[in-house]
Amino acid sequence: MKSFIKTTIGDRHNLLAAFGAVLLALLVFETPLRPFAGLVLPLALFGGAVYLARK
Amino acid sequence: MSVYGVMLASFLTASVEWVEAFTIVLAVALSIGWRRAGTASLAAFAVLALMTLASGFFLRFIADAHILQFIIGMFLVLFGLRWLAKAIARGAGLKKLHDEAEEFAALRADAKLHDIRAGQMVAFQGVMMEGLEVWLIVVALGVQTGRTGAAAGAAIAALLVVMAAGAMLRKPLANVPENTIKFFVGSAILSFGTFWVLESIGYIWPLGDFALPALLLFYAAGGLLAMKQLDVRKALS
Repeated sequence: MKSFIKTTIGDRHNLLAAFGAVLLALLVFETPLRPFAGLVLPLALFGGAVYLARK
Repeated sequence: MSVYGVMLASFLTASVEWVEAFTIVLAVALSIGWRRAGTASLAAFAVLALMTLASGFFLRFIADAHILQFIIGMFLVLFGLRWLAKAIARGAGLKKLHDEAEEFAALRADAKLHDIRAGQMVAFQGVMMEGLEVWLIVVALGVQTGRTGAAAGAAIAALLVVMAAGAMLRKPLANVPENTIKFFVGSAILSFGTFWVLESIGYIWPLGDFALPALLLFYAAGGLLAMKQLDVRKALS
């Protein structure tokens, strides 16, 4: 089961990076800056990828 | 999204995973015989096929298309992020490249492979673990685009190609550019995930469907740049 979860969703760092980026984009989407959500999510996810790569 | 896009993503993801699975099955087969290793592998493929059918069936019960799109998008984000990060780390030299020949040698040195039961379990688990990522991509891309058959067909085609190459070479497929494939597939899957997560909450992408190739370009170019930067920092430190 542990391997199944790790294979499908990754470790806690992966979860943190992914959900952190999506949460940030959702927050931006709920503000008047809504059009920028499409910019915020890829940038935050890319930042997450670099963080995970350096870890 | 075109059927070719779904098939290509599915084919490439499956190729990487089946190459790794082949290394494990080959090592087991050389210890306990092809028939026994093949039976264990077939059992794993049967479980994966059942999982694909069952998950495709049950996901249809999520009546709200936006919720389904968000869930699938999140799974793709989690998957793509992991593959892209791993490819960047390996490309920058922060992590060792995956070496099929080395993996094969380590497996062959494992004494437990000579035990029939243990060997069969290793083959079964190896195919299952590598196949789980294939299952995830086939179901996610297939259900969201309504092309599960095409996605599954591409994964099976990848399996046949790997099996044919393995049968011809009779050794681990160490020359497959695994990290390059992982880098581009990771970028592509992350692009689909990004696109669908935001679309599911009502975001209208300025370029419509053309936002997808733009996202792919962003992640791929950014990833290459990150590899260089991290490589330089590693050399300086």
